[in-house]
Amino acid sequence: MRETAKRDERELVAAVVDVARKGGAEMAEAYFARGEELVVEVRQGEVETLKIAREEGIGVRVIRAGRLGFAFTSNLNWPAVKKTINDALANVRTASEDPYHSLPDPPAAYPDLNLEDPTLRDIPLAEKIEKAREIERAGHAFDSRIKLTERATYEEAHYQVTIANSRGLLASYRGSFCGGYAVLVAAANGEQETGFGLQFTRKFKELDPGKIGREAASKAISLLGARRLETKRVPVVFDPYVVTNFLGIIASALTAEAVQKGRSLFAGKVGKTVAAKGVTVVDDATLPGGLLSAPFDGEGVPAQHTVLIKEGQLQGFLHNTYTAAKDGVASTGNAARGSYKSPPELGSTNFYLTPGESAPEEIIKGTSQGLYLAEVMGMHTANPISGDFSVGAAGIWIEHGELTKPVRGMVIAGNILELLETVDAVGNDLRFFIGKGAPTIRVTGLTVSGK
Amino acid sequence: MLTKADLEEILQVARRGGNFAEIFLEKKETTKIGCEAGKIERVISGSEQGAGIRVLRGEHTAYGYTNALDKESLIALARRVGSAARENPDTRVSLATRNSQLALPVDQRPDEAEIDKKTALVWAADRAAREVNEELVRQVTVNYGDAIQQVTIANTEGTYVEDERIRCRLAVNVVAAEGDVIQTGFEAAGGTRGLELFETEAPWELGLKAARRALLMLNARRAPAGRMAVVLAGEAGGTMIHEACGHGLEADLVQKRLSVYAGKKGEQVASELVTVIDDGTLEGKYGSFRFDDEGNPARRTVLIERGILQNFMYDYLTAARDQELPTGNGRRESFQHKPIPRMSNTYLVPGDASPNEIIRETKTGLLVRRMGGGQVNTTNGDFVFEVAEGYVIKDGEVSMPIRGATLTGNGPEVLKQIDMVGRDLGFAIGTCGKDGQGVPVSDAQPTIRIPELIVGGILEEEGERD
Repeated sequence: MRETAKRDERELVAAVVDVARKGGAEMAEAYFARGEELVVEVRQGEVETLKIAREEGIGVRVIRAGRLGFAFTSNLNWPAVKKTINDALANVRTASEDPYHSLPDPPAAYPDLNLEDPTLRDIPLAEKIEKAREIERAGHAFDSRIKLTERATYEEAHYQVTIANSRGLLASYRGSFCGGYAVLVAAANGEQETGFGLQFTRKFKELDPGKIGREAASKAISLLGARRLETKRVPVVFDPYVVTNFLGIIASALTAEAVQKGRSLFAGKVGKTVAAKGVTVVDDATLPGGLLSAPFDGEGVPAQHTVLIKEGQLQGFLHNTYTAAKDGVASTGNAARGSYKSPPELGSTNFYLTPGESAPEEIIKGTSQGLYLAEVMGMHTANPISGDFSVGAAGIWIEHGELTKPVRGMVIAGNILELLETVDAVGNDLRFFIGKGAPTIRVTGLTVSGK
Repeated sequence: MLTKADLEEILQVARRGGNFAEIFLEKKETTKIGCEAGKIERVISGSEQGAGIRVLRGEHTAYGYTNALDKESLIALARRVGSAARENPDTRVSLATRNSQLALPVDQRPDEAEIDKKTALVWAADRAAREVNEELVRQVTVNYGDAIQQVTIANTEGTYVEDERIRCRLAVNVVAAEGDVIQTGFEAAGGTRGLELFETEAPWELGLKAARRALLMLNARRAPAGRMAVVLAGEAGGTMIHEACGHGLEADLVQKRLSVYAGKKGEQVASELVTVIDDGTLEGKYGSFRFDDEGNPARRTVLIERGILQNFMYDYLTAARDQELPTGNGRRESFQHKPIPRMSNTYLVPGDASPNEIIRETKTGLLVRRMGGGQVNTTNGDFVFEVAEGYVIKDGEVSMPIRGATLTGNGPEVLKQIDMVGRDLGFAIGTCGKDGQGVPVSDAQPTIRIPELIVGGILEEEGERD
């Protein structure tokens, strides 16, 4: 074994697997990840924060006698890596036995996805800073009541993943994306409201900074003068971003892990109706341009398109190699790995509610009285197991099919299953916010608590 | 290993780009044990290292980080980060070691304990939770974690700090189900302590409490909706104080005028019964530290005294802007992040009312015995927090449990309304998220009464109103 500091990543992961096998692992896996990020934050046209960064590391997973051990390190010097392999092997002793632990075989092929913008690195920093400035300028130009910039950023990331396992799998990919984000503050009559806009894309030339700024500005302006209203049960029209907030809970409940551990509200409901007919939910790691698209998942299983709810009917769950072995099915390629620091979990990729036919304006027009829900607060407090949620709400009151006065400081409460079952309109305006996408939707009735 | 002279050289290179340069070196060893479905599913050992270099030029921050800790790589990074700002004449940097008066003793270092000792803690919590009711307790998840973080912080003002932070944490989540009703209970303990923490915060007790809460909630009715008096018990934790006023008193938000408390120093912002303190020096608490992540000593800062706004929480940059001293609130999640003003242990100081008396004097309302997570919009002061354990108060008596409630209010409005403050004080731990960075914090409050808050519940269809 060479004791040199640096080596090619494919050699490194293969060497780790080899050493782990020799150290007594029946199965071994090495996962290498490297990331680089650039963040430019501007305020009043000046660069307030510029961040440049690079991080790499390796995670080692070993299986012995049905027990799993994991260790990771950000130090890729061979002695540190060797210690990490030993730590993983040592952790096996403490873990409980479970016959379903295994690693995937190498597949016949991986999808060819175009994940990198080869021009991104060559674009000068000044041009990227200018994108952040444009976002801010467009926002402030939108309306004179836009007084402050909480955030106007340009961000970009480059990443590389290499994985090897003892079944002969060895694969890697590279990717990059860029984007912009704005949070702007509108002020009038001593009151302040915030609004945000964002766009992330694989291609630099697709970025539209003006749109990001204007979106943030118009959202902030629309909430000025917001008041609390009486408690009422009314139809609620959800902004696509708010829908994606709820999709987070649905995604975790649709994992086979949640089902197998008795904490999924969808357990035992495959083939049954769990949502209104207009509701189709898909997870697609092969989605062209998707921010979470990748040729393979955190274990090296090829990316797939999985329909989870089809026209209201539950089709199945997301699987990784472990949960698939336990249920005797094939993995859907949803072993999610946030970084090299954790073993693969189960998670969604590009997860979205498919669009319907109606224009969002028509949905509002068809609502005699209700709430257009623009923002929710405290979404992380929703209970993913029972599906109960109760979150802060802000938006615009709908009266006779028209958006009238802004409201805030209210709470909407309900259950996610009831919410899915009562969707009575689905918009044609599908939009993605990083890994989650949704169109505008309307539900027939929710309690909106206020005065 | 990098010497003081190496760091001086790196800082000198970085300093060419601005008026202040800082390096934050970190090595962190972590252990995590995860138990679910009666199995130890995950045993994870981690080793991370890296350095963050920050250069300030006036209002501009340049920040870079890398995993490489050799001098050459860091000089290269210093040059890159420095050139992101503008050129400045070279100056000499000389570092002087700072020592802390604060002990924060650790008796049983987690890196010296056998892994079996840690798994025993996990099993004890798991077993206790299951034994509460073998039939209705459907799932128990126990997560143990410890971290030993070694930091070296040096800056061009001569600060040099070497510190070691040791933290342990154990959390239990219980799922109970009966028929169609599924409820959960959560309990966690953590501190800047070693494993001795679990002698006073017994894992079995955490398991028991979490299971009992889940079971209790099975029989709870849905929360009423609308405006009502709310009594927050001392044992409820300090989520409300953290959200309703803590975040709004962080100097970065104040200076950007993104806080409703901006420009209000010296003004009455709360009821006279309200005194709020942030204190990073409390022994063993989860949000305690000897030095913050900029090398400033932890301090006790009076934020609000008898309703009058006294001070904000400052890091180096925001303190310089206001020509104030840093309050030791410059914190960061890791070397990957620049420091920003953050809370440590934040609490509302106890008053003299008896907790029972507060409930008795509340004719109708809601008693919150445990708070869950929360969030605030600092720009307008609106906050929400969830009720993990709550009861209806009827005729001054604690009545039936309720579930699914979220409370919302406006920070300044609520602080002005508080009309009774108890003599008890209960702490809870948490990980506070801000700008994508999570840091360990704790918060506390005595039993307090808020005459009116909006409770978000569910209005049933006609005739079925709870």
